[in-house]
Amino acid sequence: MNTVEITPALVSDISTREVLKAVTDISNTSLADAAYRIDHAGHYPLDIMAGLGEAGAFAAHLDRRGANFGLAIDAMRAISRNCGSTGFLTWCHDVCGLYMEQSGNPALMGEVLDNHAAGKTFGGTALSNPMKTFAGIEKMLLRAKKVAGGYRVGGALPWVSHIAAGQYCGAIAGVYLDDGSASHEIMFLLRCTEDVVLRQCPEFSGMEGTSTWGIRLEDYFVGEENLIADPAKPFIAKIRAAFILLQTGMALGVAQGSIDSILEVEPLLGHVNQFLHERPDELQAELEDLQQRIQKLAINPYETSKDYLIEVLDARAQGAEFVLKASQSALLHQGARGYMMNTAPQRRIREAHFVAIVTPAIKHLRWEMARLSKQEMPA
Amino acid sequence: MSQAQWEQFICRACGLIYDEQAGDPDSGIAPGTKFADIPDDWVCPLCGVVKADFEPYDHAVPETTVATAAQVFARGLGAVIVGAGHAGWAVAEALRVLSPELPITLVTSCQGDRYLKPELSIAMSRGYTRDAIVQESGREAAQRLSVRLLAETFVVGLTPSLHQLRTTRGTVRYTSLVLAMGAQPAALSVLPSRLCWRINELSAWSALHHKLSTGPKRIVIVGAGMVGCELADDFVRSGHQVVLLDLAPRPMAALIPVEASERLRLGLEQAGARFVGSIHVASVTEVQDGSKIVTTQCDQTFQADEVVAATGLVTDPRIPMGAGLAFERGIAVDPKTLRTSAPEVYALGDCVSIEGAPCRFIEPISKQANAIAHAILNIEYSGYAHTQPVIRLKTKSMPLVLHGLPLAEGEWETELDSPDLLKMHQSSLGQVVATLEVGQLAGRKRV
Repeated sequence: MNTVEITPALVSDISTREVLKAVTDISNTSLADAAYRIDHAGHYPLDIMAGLGEAGAFAAHLDRRGANFGLAIDAMRAISRNCGSTGFLTWCHDVCGLYMEQSGNPALMGEVLDNHAAGKTFGGTALSNPMKTFAGIEKMLLRAKKVAGGYRVGGALPWVSHIAAGQYCGAIAGVYLDDGSASHEIMFLLRCTEDVVLRQCPEFSGMEGTSTWGIRLEDYFVGEENLIADPAKPFIAKIRAAFILLQTGMALGVAQGSIDSILEVEPLLGHVNQFLHERPDELQAELEDLQQRIQKLAINPYETSKDYLIEVLDARAQGAEFVLKASQSALLHQGARGYMMNTAPQRRIREAHFVAIVTPAIKHLRWEMARLSKQEMPA
Repeated sequence: MSQAQWEQFICRACGLIYDEQAGDPDSGIAPGTKFADIPDDWVCPLCGVVKADFEPYDHAVPETTVATAAQVFARGLGAVIVGAGHAGWAVAEALRVLSPELPITLVTSCQGDRYLKPELSIAMSRGYTRDAIVQESGREAAQRLSVRLLAETFVVGLTPSLHQLRTTRGTVRYTSLVLAMGAQPAALSVLPSRLCWRINELSAWSALHHKLSTGPKRIVIVGAGMVGCELADDFVRSGHQVVLLDLAPRPMAALIPVEASERLRLGLEQAGARFVGSIHVASVTEVQDGSKIVTTQCDQTFQADEVVAATGLVTDPRIPMGAGLAFERGIAVDPKTLRTSAPEVYALGDCVSIEGAPCRFIEPISKQANAIAHAILNIEYSGYAHTQPVIRLKTKSMPLVLHGLPLAEGEWETELDSPDLLKMHQSSLGQVVATLEVGQLAGRKRV
């Protein structure tokens, strides 16, 4: 009798395919239908996010699921292919789960994380400013003071996504001593309770459904149960590459969606579109190359060598450059069809711009790669 | 005499150019001295090679047109060169001579200023400053050659199948790519770059020069290979106190026999440098007053104001290997065309390996550049023929000239042993494979 031996690798292969199929199904149906409403009318798609969570879109990269970053990126790609905003929410949600798990804080790792990973509760990330601070680009906006049992935090952040009353996000504050001198940084899970003021943001040109708010904190208490890392810097050094690498799923998906739009009109407009450059075959070749590099990097997402970090930054920067090119090309290929406000090529132009400017933006990525590439010399 | 009649001659060993119009006043050759009129005992002011080792330098004028390659550049991307050392600029020159129209982009992590790197190991004792070493600024050279210069730009990735080079100033696409990115000083954790100088390019030299300009300093040099010995000689002649350390019991042990090493050591010590061999550096640390302590595994300590690591060069494999290029101690290239394993990607200079061996000398670079320029423009050419360059140690205290490539286990025979000259050779299967001259008369007499 022939039997097929079910190995752990095979099991994980099957579950990988199942997760990706379920996520793709949601993306191609309810998410594709809602994309314009999300982008333009500000619909925050928590219903769809819940379904994606149930399908396993937000758990693959966690250690408890074998740290399958490749699958997490593939899921984000499948989501972003139909809606860049939801792709971004996926990234926010993914890194928030990663902070919680990597914190080693039992209070953040049990049921709280189970619910988060399954899309039963929601939370994002507020690390744009601290990441730029650590790269020497900005000053830290949140300030903390040590008090009994934890810290008191004050300050304001201009825009934090995937939060709302009752939700949460990972945040970092600079700790100051009584004499006013800077001591170190802490990272914590900021819970959007009544102590947190959420301020409406001005209208953005797109991606309105990402539930992006200004945050103001006054004497906000952070207890030990909500501490992710103290001090924060070694923690950030550890998760930095993984944080950036995960973002590449957005670029891959929006770019693939752009190629879809080009191919969609090929039977009708191919005879004139042949005169355009950045044709679908060229774009697809570059996308495949990028995808392969990213999947290779996804094997060791916690590597901390300088060379690895440069490779990740390079992939993220290339993704941003590429998605700008692909979305622009899709609009040119579709012509007036794609210029209508509610069409995908028009929306993807805005999504691509977002991928290019969200932290780390192209300019920050290049700044950081240049900094890392410089030969060190004695002072 | 009109300007057009002045000629230039290039030193085959180090690439120095003798310009008849400028002469060589430091050696008593007045401006306007024709090369033929220079006395036969004149030597290269940079490396000490004899007059006979110079050859006419055809500084061909870019107007010479051979426009046969238009179709190659149908997409208008042109050639992209990575690196603005001698190799990078040599390719830009060679391409421009052959094609006035070819778009050329040069990407470099520095300013792109042109200078001869071998000068860095003799420059202090000659009182040179950065300005004296720079022959032409990157901007001027770019303008003269109609090259788009991307200065202070780091290459971060390469995908040959897409003809795509990714840099810190964006993605550059190319028709042909030339990698002239050099080699980097070996990174050793016991010699942290925060505390140890590595003199492999002008900005590091310039920064160290600034440090040493305030008066005599104590300098420890780790590594007594060619660069270590030359720097030791140069620093000690500039009035500094020098200790030269090496793993081996004698200087340049990997290349020359005991008798020659001994002369070199004596020469350096007579000039005032101290050589300490057979030591392993265990650590370099900084103390309160800013000075450094070099500690060896056998617990000797050396205190220094500055520590220089001269522990050899390696080609950084990240970009070439990430791009899938064949790599063997350097970017593997075809010995004739200098092409790498990827189509339309060439490499030359310090970053390549030819038949598995790197060749980090200045002499072959112009010839390699010429072969590459012809290959890129698809112009018939005999190709590059690799020969082992002459090695000349620019240590004034004990000049040394090595022809050929000695075998590590080969036997050396002494031909002449006089106070001014030690002459030896090494044979294999009845053939002389290497000859060596050490002493003040080294390289000055022909047998």
